[in-house]
Amino acid sequence: MMNEPNGNYIPRWGMAIDLNRCVGCQTCTAACKHANDTPPEVQWRRVIDVEQGTFPDVERLFMVVGCQHCEEPPCVPVCPTGATRQRADGLVTMDYDQCIGCAYCAVSCPYQARTIMHEERGYFGSKRTEQELATAHPERRGVAQKCTFCIDRVDAGLAQGLVPGVDPAASPACAAACIASAIHFGDYNDPQSNVSRLTAAGENFQMHEELGTHPQIRYLYTHPAVPGRAAKPADEDDARQSDLANPLVGPLQRFWDWRAAMNWCFGGAGSGLAVMAWLAAWIGILPPARLPAVMALAGLLMAIGLFCVFLKIGRQLRFWRAVLRPQTSWMTRELYAVLVFYPAVFASVGCPEPGVAGVACSVAALAALAFLGCQAMILYKARGIPAWRIRRVVLLIGLSGLAEGAGVLLLLLALDPVHLASSPAVLLEPLYGLLILIVLRAIVWRDYVVHARTEGVGPLAHQVLRRLGWLMQPAAQVVSLLIAAPAFLLPSAVAAPFAAATGLIALAVGFGWKYQVIVKAGYQQGFALPRLPQRGSGHNAAPARMSAPARAS
Amino acid sequence: MSEPTSTVAVKGAAVIGAASSVSSSKSSSQHRPVYCYQCVAGPDLLKVEVRDGVATRIESNYDISAQHPGGGRVCVKAYGLIQKTYNPNRVHQPMRRTNPRKGRNEDPGFVPISWDEALDLVGEKLRGIRAKGLTDEHGYPRLAMSTGGGGTPVQYMGTFPAFMAAWGALDQGYGAGQGVKCYHSEHLYGELWHRAFIVSPDTPYVTYIINCGNNVEASGGVAGIWREADARSRGCKRIQVEPHLSITGAVSAEWVPIRPKTDAAFLFGLIHHILHERDWANVCDVPFLRDRSNSPYLVGPNGWFLREFESGKPLVWDEADERAKPYDAADLVRPVLVFANAGEHKAIERRVSGFERGADDERHDHQDIAPRTSFELLREHMAPYTPDWAAEQCDVPASVIRRIADEYLAHACVGQTIDIEGHTLPYRPVAVMLGKTVNNGWGGYHCCWARTMLALLVGALEVPGGTLGTTVKLVRPAFSRTGSVQPGEDGFMAFQFNETSREGWQRDPHIRNAYRTLVPLVSDSPWSPALGPAHLPWLFQKKTPDDWPRVTPPDVWICYRTNPAISSWNAPQVAERLAEFPFIVAFAYTDDETNHFADVLLPESTDLESMQLIRIGSTKFTEQYWRHEGWAIRQPVIDPLHDTMDLTDVASELAERAGILDGYIAAINKGAAGMALRDRKGRFDYSLHPHARPARDAIWDAICKAASDDLTAGEAVHDLDWFREHGFQLRPFPQIDWYLHPAMQAKGLRYELPYQERLTRHGHQLAHRLREIGVTWWDKQLKEYEPLPTWEPFPDIWIDYAREYGRDPAEFAFWALTARSMQYSWGANVGLPLINELANNISGHRGVVINRTAAKRLGITEGDELLIESVSGQTRGQAVLREGIRPDTVLMIGQFDHWKTPYARDLDLPSLNSLTDLSLSLTDGTGSGADLMRVKISRSARPVK
Repeated sequence: MMNEPNGNYIPRWGMAIDLNRCVGCQTCTAACKHANDTPPEVQWRRVIDVEQGTFPDVERLFMVVGCQHCEEPPCVPVCPTGATRQRADGLVTMDYDQCIGCAYCAVSCPYQARTIMHEERGYFGSKRTEQELATAHPERRGVAQKCTFCIDRVDAGLAQGLVPGVDPAASPACAAACIASAIHFGDYNDPQSNVSRLTAAGENFQMHEELGTHPQIRYLYTHPAVPGRAAKPADEDDARQSDLANPLVGPLQRFWDWRAAMNWCFGGAGSGLAVMAWLAAWIGILPPARLPAVMALAGLLMAIGLFCVFLKIGRQLRFWRAVLRPQTSWMTRELYAVLVFYPAVFASVGCPEPGVAGVACSVAALAALAFLGCQAMILYKARGIPAWRIRRVVLLIGLSGLAEGAGVLLLLLALDPVHLASSPAVLLEPLYGLLILIVLRAIVWRDYVVHARTEGVGPLAHQVLRRLGWLMQPAAQVVSLLIAAPAFLLPSAVAAPFAAATGLIALAVGFGWKYQVIVKAGYQQGFALPRLPQRGSGHNAAPARMSAPARAS
Repeated sequence: MSEPTSTVAVKGAAVIGAASSVSSSKSSSQHRPVYCYQCVAGPDLLKVEVRDGVATRIESNYDISAQHPGGGRVCVKAYGLIQKTYNPNRVHQPMRRTNPRKGRNEDPGFVPISWDEALDLVGEKLRGIRAKGLTDEHGYPRLAMSTGGGGTPVQYMGTFPAFMAAWGALDQGYGAGQGVKCYHSEHLYGELWHRAFIVSPDTPYVTYIINCGNNVEASGGVAGIWREADARSRGCKRIQVEPHLSITGAVSAEWVPIRPKTDAAFLFGLIHHILHERDWANVCDVPFLRDRSNSPYLVGPNGWFLREFESGKPLVWDEADERAKPYDAADLVRPVLVFANAGEHKAIERRVSGFERGADDERHDHQDIAPRTSFELLREHMAPYTPDWAAEQCDVPASVIRRIADEYLAHACVGQTIDIEGHTLPYRPVAVMLGKTVNNGWGGYHCCWARTMLALLVGALEVPGGTLGTTVKLVRPAFSRTGSVQPGEDGFMAFQFNETSREGWQRDPHIRNAYRTLVPLVSDSPWSPALGPAHLPWLFQKKTPDDWPRVTPPDVWICYRTNPAISSWNAPQVAERLAEFPFIVAFAYTDDETNHFADVLLPESTDLESMQLIRIGSTKFTEQYWRHEGWAIRQPVIDPLHDTMDLTDVASELAERAGILDGYIAAINKGAAGMALRDRKGRFDYSLHPHARPARDAIWDAICKAASDDLTAGEAVHDLDWFREHGFQLRPFPQIDWYLHPAMQAKGLRYELPYQERLTRHGHQLAHRLREIGVTWWDKQLKEYEPLPTWEPFPDIWIDYAREYGRDPAEFAFWALTARSMQYSWGANVGLPLINELANNISGHRGVVINRTAAKRLGITEGDELLIESVSGQTRGQAVLREGIRPDTVLMIGQFDHWKTPYARDLDLPSLNSLTDLSLSLTDGTGSGADLMRVKISRSARPVK
C-alpha cells in the first residue's frame, strides 16, 4: 500500500481491460461522449477493430484505447503551462483554463490520447441542437483534451463514500457502462481491488512498456478456452505497418503543421546565425562592430519562427502562460532563452559602448545556443512521434541550426562588398566552417535514417526519411562541394556568388529536412499488441479441448 | 454527471423497485427512468439526465443491475436517443401531400396542416372503409398496417394495438424485410419443436457452442453480450462457423470460414460423425432419445407412424416384453431405438400390426410387419452425409468437422445432472446456434432440424446448459413458455397448424400474404401475419399468379416505425409498389424513403417524449433470461419539441373519428395495451369508462395500477406517478421456468423429433389442396415437407438464379452477404451522426468488405469505389479490404442505399437490399428467403459522394 508522508493512503487508479470480453460495441465510447460532452469526432475513449494475419489464418480483436494515465506520463513534463499535471493518485489532469493549445502534450503522447478542437461545432453542422448548447464546453476550444478517467465522478463518488470501480456512479463512465464488463477500473495500490486481482490472476501487458511510461491500463489476453500468444512477425510486417486502414498504425500528426515547422526552420537558422556570427567575430572573421546588426538579423529570423508558431497555438492570448514550467518543459526553457536573447540583442544594438555591446552579444549568442538546444530537446521529448524522439535528432537539430546559421553568415559576407574587398581569401574560413558542419550534418542524418527503424520509426515515416535522402546523402554534399569549389579557388570578389549559393543551399537543406520530418514524417506512435489471444481461424485458432471445463456454480 | 442512486424495497419483500435519483449538485438536474426497446434484444433500462428542461445525457439505470441479465447496462444505440430527439431533420408537424403523382422522382409537395385536419382526413378515409366494408372484392382487408422492427414498434405504440383490435379485418402481412431479415425457419420450427420462437444457449451454464452464423455479439443486445462474456470467462468455448469473421467470430475461440449457404452440410457431417463414426449408444443420451423424442416410434413402409388400431396412437417396441405398444402405454418399460446395429448380424425379431395414417383419407393397414424406428431411419438417412462429403460441400476440412463433433460430445456431459432451485435436471452444457441466412430461406429447415437434432442426441434440449427457446409467439399463452407445454397429438406438444384438410383449408387468402393458405406451420396467432410469406404482397401486386385472387393495394396503408422501401429484400421494387398505394398514412420521424410516398405524415412524439408501460423480465428474445419479471415505464422526459402527438392520443383520436371508440376502450380494458384492466378472477378492476374518450395519462395510470396489482397480488399497487419516479417494478421469476424439461417430463411429452410425420402430412395435404385449385407455382416449396430433410446443393439455387434472367451464372462470381450492425440496427438510427461516428470505429461500416487477396486480383485497393451488381439490382460503396472474409464473398453491413432520409442519404453506403430479388424461386416452404445474392464486382465509374 502506498502512503503519503502524512500517513494518508494514496490510491493508484488504473484499468484492467479484457481483450477476450470486449466486443467492440462502442458503448464505452458513447457513454464517454455523454458523460464528458465531447463534440463530433472527439473520442476520449474508443475501441479499435484490429485484424491480424492473412486468410485463412486470421484473428480479429477489439482494443479499448485512450489516455493510459501513465505513471510516467510524457505529456506532463513537456507542458509549458502546467495545464497538464499528475495527481498523487496517478490521474493525469487537464486544466483547460491554463492550456494555451500548443499541442506539445498531444505529440508527446504515445497513445494518441489527446485532441485539440479549434472550432465549436455540432453534429448537424454549425447550428447546434438544444442538447449540444446545454452541454457545450467553450473552455475546451483550442486547448488539449483527453480522457480524465472521469475524475469528477471518482472524486464525487469518494466524497460520498462510494468505491470507484465498484459503484458505477463513482467509476469512469466507460467502465460503468461497459456491457461486456471488459473494462475494469480500480486501485492498483490495493492488492484486493478488482484490477489488482484480475491482473494478478491473468496474463496481461502494458502497451509500449519499452517507452518507460508505465501506463495504468493493463490488457488481459487469456481466457480458459483461449490461451495467449506472442505477436507474430507477420502481424507487424512493413505492409501491415504501412496500411493506414490498419488501426494499429499511427496516423500522421496534424497538431504541428507548417507553422510549427517554421519555428524550427527560422528559429534554427536564426539562433545558428547568432552563434556562428559570435564565433566568427570571436575568431576575427566578422568585425565586432557588425555583430549587433547580425544579431538583430538573427533575432528577426527567430521572430518569424516564433510568430509562425504563435499563429498555430489554440489560445493565442494566453501564450504568456508558457513561461510557467521551466522546471520540466523545454518549450518554457525555449521561451526563457528568447527572453534573454532579445534584450541582449536590443542592448547590443542600442548600446554605443563597444565593450557593453560585446558582452550583450555574447549573452545573446549564449541565449541563442540555448534556444537551439531547446528546439532540439522539444522535438526529442515529443515521445508520441517515433521519428522525433530519437536521440540523434538532438544532434541533428543542433548541427543543422549551426550549418544554417553559418550558411546565412556566409551569404551575408558574400553579399558585402566592403567585406569582400578586405581580403582575397576572406570567405575561405567561413566556407570551411560551413562545409565541416554540412558534412557532419550529413553523417548524423545518415546515422539517423539507418537506425530509424530499429529505434521504432514505422515504415511510413521511414519512407519519408529515405525520400529525403537525396537532399542529405553524400552525393548531395558533393554537389554542394562542387558549387563551393570555385569559392575556394577564386578571389573572394569573384567567388562570392558561389559562396553565397553554398550558404543558401545549406540553409535550404536545413529548412527542407526539418519541414519534412516535422510535417511529413510525423506519424504518431501506433498501438501495439505484444501479446494477444490465441484465437481466430486456421493456425490462429484456440487449441482443441476434449474435456469439459469445471461446472458453473 | 450522474449521481449515486439507491434501491429501495417497497411493500412486499420480494418486490423490487428503484428510486429516481436527483442530482444534489445541480438542483435543476433530474434523472428520468425510461426503457430502450429499439431492437428485439431489449429492453434496456436507462435514465435520462434532464437539465433545465433539456435532455442532456443518457446513462444506464444501475438501479436494476442486480436483476437485469445484462448487469443493468444500456446498449450503445440508446445513447443516440437524445440526438434522435433533437434531430433538426424531424418532421415538425402533420403534413399533407399535394402532388397526386407518386414516384421516387416526384416531389410529394408536403404542406403543413393541423392535427385536427390530419386526423379528420385519416378519419374520413377510415369511415369510408367501414361504410364500404372492411374487405375488398377479392376478400382482402381494405386497411393494412406494417410495423416492421421485429415487433419492437409495439413497445412504442402505446394503445394503438387496441385501435387495431377494435378495427376488425386488418392486413398486417406486408413485409418490411421479414423472411430474409429474421430467423424465419427458427421461429416456425423452433416454436413447433420446443417453444423456441428464438433459440439461445443456456449461456450461464453452457461450455461449448457451435455458432453457425449467429452474430450474438452484434444482435444479442446487452444481455447477450454480458452473458456470453461471462461464459467465455468461465471457460466456454465457442466455434464460429461463418463466411466472414464477424464481431461474434472475432471473440470466439475459433473461426471456421464456411462456404455460404452450406451450413446444413456441415451440421449433417457432425450428426453423421456422432451416429456412424462414434459409438452412438455410448455418446448419446439414450434415455432422453427414448423418452423425450419420437426416436422409438415405429414407422410403416409408407413413411407414416405405425399406429395402434384401437387408439390410433403411434406404436413403439418395448424391449422388456418384446411387443409393440402405444408410446404412452402404462406398462412401457424400455422402448427400442434400433432393432439392429451396424455390424450386428441379427436384428431383433418383431412382428407388428397397425395402420399408417397418411394425408387426407389415406390409410394403410398392416399385419405382422417388421417396422423400423424413427431413429433407425434417422441413422440410415444420415449415412451418406459423411464429414468427407460435407467437406466437399462446405469447404471445411473433414478433420475439422470430426474434431468439432468430438469436442461437442466431450462437452455434453451426458449422464450428469444439476440442481436448479431444488430440482434435479440433466446438465448438458452444449448448444448449437444459427444465424440469419442460415436459418431462413432454402436450407433453413435443414439447419434448424440438424441443430435441434444435435441437441436432442445428447439430451441438451431445454435442459440446463443446453439449447433453449426464449419466448413464444405462435402458441398460447403468449406470456408463458412453460404454460404452453400442453399435450397435443401423438405425445407431442400441442401446436395449431393452419388447416390443410379439405374441409378446413382456407382456400381464399384472408390477407394478401396468404399465410393461412400456404404455410401450415406459421399457425394463426397475432404474430402469424408478419411471419407469413410477407414479401408475397409486393411480389403479387406486380403480377398475381393465375388461379389466385388478384392482389390489390389496400385502400389505406398505415406504416409505423418501418421503412420497407429500404429494409425489404429488393427494396427498390417495394418502393415502386408503394407508389401504387392509393392512400398512405405514415407516422413520420424524419423524411424517409417510404413516407416519401405517403399522403399524410403524422409526426409521433418520439421515444423520450411519449408514454408506455411494458412487461419486462421472464424469458424474452435472444438472451433476455431473467430471474425476475415485472413492468417498466417509458415516459416523456421533456415536453414535446414540436407539434407531435403521443401514439396513445393518436389511437384515441382515430378510434373516435373512425367510429370505433367503444371497441377501442373495450380492447384496452381487455388488455390490448399490454395489461387487462379487469382481473379475470374479479380481484381488481381499473377499467376505463366504456364510452368516454380517455386521456393518455388516465389510461396509463389504470394500466400501472392493474399491472402492479397483478404483479404483487394487490400487495404493492402503484400509479403512474410512482412508475414515473421509480421506473420499474419486479418480482422473482423462477429460473426453472427457463427450461421446458420439467414440464415435458411432468406431462410425459416428447419433442417432435427427429421424424416429421405431422409436418409431412400437412405438406402432402397442402399439395393436394393447391393441386385441386390448379396452383403449381408453390410446387417447389411443397417439396420441402419431408420427414427427414434431404440435402440439396442449396448454393446452386442462388448461383443458377441468374439463368432466370437469361444471364450466365459465371458472371456473378461473388457471394454478397450482410451482417447486423449493432450500432445502427432498427430505431431509425441511420439519420444520427453520433451513431455513424461510433459505427465507423468498427471495420466494414464504411463500405463493401472484400478479401484483400481477391481485391488485389481485381485491381481493387482500399477505398476504391465499387459497383456491385446482381441480376436484379445494383449498389455502390467503397472497398474495405480485410483478411477475415472468404475470397469468394463480399459483405455489406446494415441496410443503407438511402435516397431520402436526411443525413443517411449522404452516407453513400451500399446495401444488400438493392441486390436481393423478390422471387418465388428464392422462397422456401415457410415463405422465407435468405439474405444473400450472387454478385459481380467492378470499380465504379461514378464517384461516391
